[in-house]
Amino acid sequence: MKNLLLKEWRLALHPAALLFLCLSSMLLIPSYPYFVIFFYTCLGLFFICLSGRENKDIYYTMLLPASKRGIVAARFLLAILIELLQFAAAIPFALLHNALYSAPNAAGMNVNTAFFGFAFLLIGLFNLVFFPKYYRNPNKVGMPFLFGCLAFAAGMTAVEAGRFALPAIDAYLNAQGTQNLPYQLAALAAGAALWALFTLIAYRRSAKSFEAFDL
Amino acid sequence: MAVLSVKGLCKKYKAFELKNVSFELRRGTITGFIGRNGAGKTTTLKALLHFIHPDSGEIRFFGQDIAEHELAVKQKLGFVSGGADYYPMKKLKAITDVTKRFYGEWDDGVYRRYMKLFGLDETKTPKQLSEGMKVKYSLTLALSHHAELLIFDEPTSGLDPVSRDELLDIFLELVEREGVTLLFSTHITADLEKCADDILYIKNGEISAEMPLDDFIAEYRVARFAGEVPNDGRLLGVKRERRGCSALMRAEDLPAEGAEVSDATLEEIMVHLEKE
Repeated sequence: MKNLLLKEWRLALHPAALLFLCLSSMLLIPSYPYFVIFFYTCLGLFFICLSGRENKDIYYTMLLPASKRGIVAARFLLAILIELLQFAAAIPFALLHNALYSAPNAAGMNVNTAFFGFAFLLIGLFNLVFFPKYYRNPNKVGMPFLFGCLAFAAGMTAVEAGRFALPAIDAYLNAQGTQNLPYQLAALAAGAALWALFTLIAYRRSAKSFEAFDL
Repeated sequence: MAVLSVKGLCKKYKAFELKNVSFELRRGTITGFIGRNGAGKTTTLKALLHFIHPDSGEIRFFGQDIAEHELAVKQKLGFVSGGADYYPMKKLKAITDVTKRFYGEWDDGVYRRYMKLFGLDETKTPKQLSEGMKVKYSLTLALSHHAELLIFDEPTSGLDPVSRDELLDIFLELVEREGVTLLFSTHITADLEKCADDILYIKNGEISAEMPLDDFIAEYRVARFAGEVPNDGRLLGVKRERRGCSALMRAEDLPAEGAEVSDATLEEIMVHLEKE
């Protein structure tokens, strides 16, 4: 696995995926639908898979003594790393955001702990839809990405609409800063747990699809 | 024990079928794998590399089933296609650094020796290499992990005659000095006449000949007719030529009335048989 991970890092990684980590700084925009930052994370993963197709990554990797399941696992580990790095890069900007701005976000959910829980959920939805479809035929990256984006967008709409539909919950989870922190922490834990679950399901389905795929 | 043994390999697609493909490779030989475009050469090679799942059949490398021992088999296998066309924008050094870690038997000394011998520069990218150099780089990677069996898919396509000849010399030397076994798919039949010991001929997804190359060529003669070709069932694949017509005959069916008979080349045999 170490060798496959090194292959992912040195050959497969598209620079845009790392560049998009800088977009965590968009949290410094006073008002913005901040979930969009995590859409760029998904876009980075799409670029990795797309450039993999152009560079014949799967053909190259299949020639090596490496199992198909291992190939999929290495790609998932790279994706998980990038996703977690996006969160890590966002935390300082979130703190700065709350230190700089006192007005609530006029364009979407406020930046708080619960926000990151919902961001985990959205990325988990993307993983769940995009990767199993992609590994059914890695030569077709566009449609899986489209469906992944739709899942992300549907999740984002549901979260934002939910805030209006359920004002009671909104009061607990859409605080500016650390008000109602236990509730926010619970939302973060639930979001992260769903992200982990969705990603695990996505990996299992992807490995199964890729095993059956004829190159 | 055969280096590679394939038995009853079948794979059905919508428009094409690999039918009961069986053959064996002898250790330390060069086997030419011929057939026209679309005959099933690449599909067979893909099945050998476990890139596709055959519907039925058995593939054993060094006595081990590829489906069960894929990783162990691939440690001893080198595959060279028309050239390294993966990661065209990455430096050879980066590709090598990643590739070498997968092989227990990787030998840096051998790698450096072949890079020097072939005049390959690690700071270049595959995109900057000529077709011949790409093949040589793939070959270097395969040799550096002491592959016992090298599988080539059209390695000489796109090469100029001098580079082709140079590469064939390398193949002959590899078999002689290193004792490796080569399976060499091509439609440039002249290349095989220079270096192949055995021939494997695939037609419409079926193996139609598997034998020593010399025996295969000796089986046939070309009969040339100045005018019309007589209606004779022994004549195979009649085709027009600049002056008159020609057909293939089995050597045991000679003589042919009114024909100028000459030895057949592999290309002539293939061209006529494909018209049948």
